[in-house]
Amino acid sequence: MTRRVVITGLGIVSPIGSGQEQFFSNLMAGCSGIKHLQSPFVDQLSNKIAAAVTDFNPAAHFSKIQLTGIERVSQFALVAAEQAVQDANLVLAESEYSRAGVCMGSCLGGAGTMEDGYIEIFKHKPPRVKPLSVLLSMNNAPASHLSIKYHLQGANMTYATACASSAIALGEAYRQIKHGYADVMLAGGSEAMLTQGAMSAWEALRTLAQEDPEDVSASCKPFSKNRSGLVMGEGAAVLILEDAERAIQRGAKIYAELAGYDCSSDACHITKPNAAGQARTIIAALKDAKLQAQDIGYINAHGTATLAGDIEETKALKQVFGEQAYKIPVSSSKSMHGHLMGATGAVEFMVAVLALQQQAVPPTINLHQPDPECDLDYVANQGRVGVPLEAVMSNSFAFGGTNAVLIARRFIP
Amino acid sequence: MSSLPVIQRMMVEQFDLKLENLTLDATLESLGLDSLSVIEFMFNLEDELKIKLPDERIEIKTLQDVVTLVDRIVAEQSA
Repeated sequence: MTRRVVITGLGIVSPIGSGQEQFFSNLMAGCSGIKHLQSPFVDQLSNKIAAAVTDFNPAAHFSKIQLTGIERVSQFALVAAEQAVQDANLVLAESEYSRAGVCMGSCLGGAGTMEDGYIEIFKHKPPRVKPLSVLLSMNNAPASHLSIKYHLQGANMTYATACASSAIALGEAYRQIKHGYADVMLAGGSEAMLTQGAMSAWEALRTLAQEDPEDVSASCKPFSKNRSGLVMGEGAAVLILEDAERAIQRGAKIYAELAGYDCSSDACHITKPNAAGQARTIIAALKDAKLQAQDIGYINAHGTATLAGDIEETKALKQVFGEQAYKIPVSSSKSMHGHLMGATGAVEFMVAVLALQQQAVPPTINLHQPDPECDLDYVANQGRVGVPLEAVMSNSFAFGGTNAVLIARRFIP
Repeated sequence: MSSLPVIQRMMVEQFDLKLENLTLDATLESLGLDSLSVIEFMFNLEDELKIKLPDERIEIKTLQDVVTLVDRIVAEQSA
């Protein structure tokens, strides 16, 4: 006997705005958050562009005493969670604490704190590593802060599966409720790795987009012939997942049902994407959702804008959906909010949920040069409103070979 | 010379505390400082005063406890 899981709250801190309303209206308007990075180390990078959260003021949310122990990555998570909890009007009785938990995803946790520590160790003698470095930088700090703030005494788990981290976090949180281990889960991801070390490492891997010489904000071009890679971003997204019965009983606003999820591994290469593995995951998620391929009305693609990734995802969609693949709107919102790494799966699933709720499909911007190998309907440059949607899907395909697919459908009690 | 004025100034700067609340008998807990923020504060105090506080755990409850410890260490390490 399994239970149905619904989404009752959304919170987001992103390069294109905080709060779901601003976020989604900017997506529909095709606004990009990609800019020149304004950091002291930027001159030491060849690639100087990023999707940073530039309007985030920690002092508006935390006291100086609190900030002593809360890293940027956890600040993002806490602010996104606060929005989500308020949005859901979620109140937990003390008797429910042990039936509520948290799952978050992050690639690098408190990357800035780690790097500050290394700078101390390698540049200063004797080094003065800050005493709270471990607590600030540990990957599970964001989830733990949420657990503490909201008395979540059930599972407290953090997933580090690269670009799929927070999609996995959502999927595993969904399973917690579905299989009866919890009634409420806060789930999502947070990332704050626009640091010199992390950006240099990604630059060295040669996966980052070249700066567009005419318009920096147009540098990320998923599915376009002239795409050149991803643009690193930061931020957090947190969703409230709830047992459907509980949500109905309390009269909660229900965005959608989280109806299906699967994760699996390509098991073949550490970076090279694999259409067969991706297709296997999509098929399993559809089966979990008890949906047919033709039920899916919108797909938020992983769409990193890497040369190989976009072609392989296109192939996977054709393998699963056949001729119908050409009729489903597929967009990569990374063209606007960048690649939020460990947070990106949750951000993009939220895009799909909002698309479903508002019956509106955000575009893939900067798509002006069609690639013959990427020949689906990528909603080029212009979003669409009034699109009848019953079910939507979000793909996350990570380095390491981890694939995660989430499916949301309109909730029918 | 007492380290109190330096400690008060740093607490105001680092934690936005009000100077009038930073009396010697004030407990750190009453000022809103938990054990972790105290550890961070003492670390910064070492930098500011160029001293090395002892590694062993010392019971510190009030601002007076901080001042007493720091004054002792300053005296020892400048001797």
